[in-house]
Amino acid sequence: MKLSRILCNPLLSGVASGPALVTSQPICFWGGLDPKTGTITERDHELKGQNVAGTVFVFPTGKGSSTTSAILLESVRCGTAPAAIVNLKTEPILVIGAIIAEKLYDRVIPIVDTPERDPIKVIKSGEWVEVNASETQGWIQLRK
Amino acid sequence: MFLTTEEEQSLQGEQGEAVQLAMSVLVKLGKMYGADRMIRIENVHVDASSYYGISDAGMEFCEKLAEEGAAYKVPTTLCIASIDFERHAEFDVAQECVEKQLRISEAHLKMGAIPSWTCTPYQCDSSVRFGQNIAWGESNAIAFVNSVIGARTIRCADFVDICAAITGLMPRFDLYLDDERKGSVLFKLDNLDTRYFTSADYAALGYYVGGVADSRVPVLQGVSKTVSVDQLKAFSAAVSTSGSIGLFHMCEITPEAKNLDEAFGGEKPSETVVFGQDELSEVRNSFSTQDGPEPDIAILGCPHYSVEELREAAHLLKNRRLAANKQLWIFTNRCAQERAEQMGILEKINETGAKVICDTCFLLFPTAAWELGSIATDSAKMAHYAPGLGKFRVSFLDKVQCIESVTK
Repeated sequence: MKLSRILCNPLLSGVASGPALVTSQPICFWGGLDPKTGTITERDHELKGQNVAGTVFVFPTGKGSSTTSAILLESVRCGTAPAAIVNLKTEPILVIGAIIAEKLYDRVIPIVDTPERDPIKVIKSGEWVEVNASETQGWIQLRK
Repeated sequence: MFLTTEEEQSLQGEQGEAVQLAMSVLVKLGKMYGADRMIRIENVHVDASSYYGISDAGMEFCEKLAEEGAAYKVPTTLCIASIDFERHAEFDVAQECVEKQLRISEAHLKMGAIPSWTCTPYQCDSSVRFGQNIAWGESNAIAFVNSVIGARTIRCADFVDICAAITGLMPRFDLYLDDERKGSVLFKLDNLDTRYFTSADYAALGYYVGGVADSRVPVLQGVSKTVSVDQLKAFSAAVSTSGSIGLFHMCEITPEAKNLDEAFGGEKPSETVVFGQDELSEVRNSFSTQDGPEPDIAILGCPHYSVEELREAAHLLKNRRLAANKQLWIFTNRCAQERAEQMGILEKINETGAKVICDTCFLLFPTAAWELGSIATDSAKMAHYAPGLGKFRVSFLDKVQCIESVTK
């Protein structure tokens, strides 16, 4: 087994691991993710019907509504949030939900973006991935 | 990131726990996005206002801040609620929703919010002016206020707006900066006379532009100066639904785009895209999930109708009545409804059997009891979200046809 590490920009510190859930399509959490169940519900999305709970959720970026942060916060309250989030470029809108979740429910969701290699091409859904982010550095680690 | 002594003290908790929490969110946000310092903001529009939007977790957050004695430092309007505060009993709203919405309302009002309950605060006696730094939530309002009014806000996430209102501050990055407001991708309208565009056409145009521009600042060339404020509203709602768009420019129309050169800040577009009749038809057709207009209900007022749009609806409804088993719901805010009432418009709409609903949005509204499977709308935002949120079948039509499809 080979360990492969992709360096990223750390946005929210923490360490988490889980099976990857990977998409090349941007996603809108409002109307696109049901926080009660963790199921993706966005119309025409390639991950529609999949569940984000406990996954390392890899998607390019968020889009659309400014309610995204509230959906993430509620998913933390309901225990359906992803374990970690990896983006090509993270929107502030998403990070805020995670920051407040940490303050309100003491649950950390590490977030990294700007990976040195495109994780959407390298990581397949279901592969076990670890995300590690500190104030100064971040990486995604996968076993291949 | 530079903080003044006072800001540093707030962060250390010298102004109480609520301000400390708000500051720590804003500072973290600023650091993540490379802000150099904080700026004072002059107005806030809070999107974290509806129970179905922010859920129990959001309610708990608002109540925690209010309990800790937080107070809004600048004029702060509220986006929609999950209920029409005066008429919720007519719509079979769950008691839990009413109670929790009232708790959210109480927390915001305790902190000093203005109970505007609308997604279009810019059409309700807003004092926001060109060049002001503000902190707004709700994607259509953000796109409109940045682009059409020329005030400056980032796309505030839910709760960032609250933190801004509590501190009167925002980290300086993204759309607060001149450089970030320059256009990036050019959309040329080809052989389209937008003088004849309906709101639905502007919505389709916006949806296309947002989808292609993604997170870049789009610039449109070829839109007629006859475009109305309400059409710019329809465009704003659509462009920010299909893309991460907080700002657009329309040449010779919006205030930071007196000409193409100004819109692009003296630089060249990174890409040029042509939008013609084919694209318009394609986008419009893509919204409809059913053939033929057989809707159970027509939804107008996404975003909230202005008094001018209420007047137009009343005109289109002249000598018509709701057809059997059909509904027409028009969403608006208290400020437009009050004016419509004074002008005698409201009565004319109500006489036809249509409902004018305030404070809220169809998408956050309990509709199960009404057995509404199929909707007609002229809003791209509604057409985009309705299938996911309510499993509705959608007919995307101009407002005239929306009204005709449910009346006789």
